[in-house]
Amino acid sequence: MDETGAIIRLIHGRQKTLNPSFEQDLLAMLPRLRRFAVGLCGNSADGDDLCQMSIERALANRDKWQDGSRLDSWMYRIMRNLWIDEGRASTRRRETFAAEDAGLSVGGEGAQESAVELSMVDRAMQKLPEEQREAVLLVMVEGYAYKEAAEIVGCPVGTLNSRLVRGRDALLELLGEKA
Amino acid sequence: MTVSREDIAAFVDGELSVEQEGQIAAAIAADPDLQGQVEAHRALKERLSGHFAPIAEEPVPDALAALLVPKQAEVVDFSAAKRRSTTSRAIPRWGWVAGPALAASLALAVFLPRSGTPDGYADEQLARVLDTRLVAEQVQDADTRILLSFRNYQGDFCRAFSNTEASGIACRDAEGWKLEALGKARDEAGTDYRMAGASEGDLLARAQQMADGPALDAAAEAQARENGWLVAQ
Repeated sequence: MDETGAIIRLIHGRQKTLNPSFEQDLLAMLPRLRRFAVGLCGNSADGDDLCQMSIERALANRDKWQDGSRLDSWMYRIMRNLWIDEGRASTRRRETFAAEDAGLSVGGEGAQESAVELSMVDRAMQKLPEEQREAVLLVMVEGYAYKEAAEIVGCPVGTLNSRLVRGRDALLELLGEKA
Repeated sequence: MTVSREDIAAFVDGELSVEQEGQIAAAIAADPDLQGQVEAHRALKERLSGHFAPIAEEPVPDALAALLVPKQAEVVDFSAAKRRSTTSRAIPRWGWVAGPALAASLALAVFLPRSGTPDGYADEQLARVLDTRLVAEQVQDADTRILLSFRNYQGDFCRAFSNTEASGIACRDAEGWKLEALGKARDEAGTDYRMAGASEGDLLARAQQMADGPALDAAAEAQARENGWLVAQ
């Protein structure tokens, strides 16, 4: 009788809930996840909040993650869905503030070259519709192939492609890099 | 050929097939306007990745990292860990059994005898589950789940269980199911998925300490039940 095999199987059923590599893998990809979160939200405070919600959601749903599938895609999808579901209200709030800030800072620009550069990209990104912003971030910043990005977003590749192109064209326009 | 905006983007992103790429590259080479578009896309890509790269370089805020630091050691390979623990005689890493007296007494209150059961033994209701339920047969959402069965150093059969009121390990002796360890109640936050139970992790670690050999498989469990969980002479 193979008792060792039995215990391994027995423990294996629980391994997903006990396997520390799940946490370790998440920890390792946290810097990238933050980058995506901040890109979606447009600022690091909201980005970190989104990160926290995403991690909590992932830990609570770890049983739903299929062993062998890519953990990073799964995480990005969780984050993206949370952002879509729960982020909209705060995005609207922030846009109101951002508009006020922009009004106040007129004339102050140019004092610090890099700060101006940062805010230009951020503002351009925030002007994109959500579906274009996430497509741009996933492909151009996070480096996902179209197919992978489409899976994360949950849309056909062709749809992802056209959102990406519209987002890019808008950014080229906004950032003055139109060919 | 006509080259669309999508073609240019896909070309820059390396998303075209070899064949398509050759065609588009040829078209671009012949058209300065298209070359300009490619340049603009490449510049945009660099600007965006350069803009967001520093965020991934920053140290992750402690509050976020803390969510992912495991709270206790895990049981991965029962027998390997077992070998380690018997050779090194490590200090048991589960603090909970000796641990907070309050928690222990709360848990004890649940199991202490209502009638006719000696002190420190499972009550009738729990004993019935321990007597009858096999790991292999139980339903997922049973009130009391048996996590595993094993034999301790005395050769007694022991079973780790968890339910909504408490969890623990009970070993069968002549008197009944003696409670050897008690832990926290199972987290019932979700019904469609099970939380990573800290209590279960501790319990399995404890079982590992107590067990003299691997856990029982389905056949051995069934056999043990047949013998009333008493060691055959």
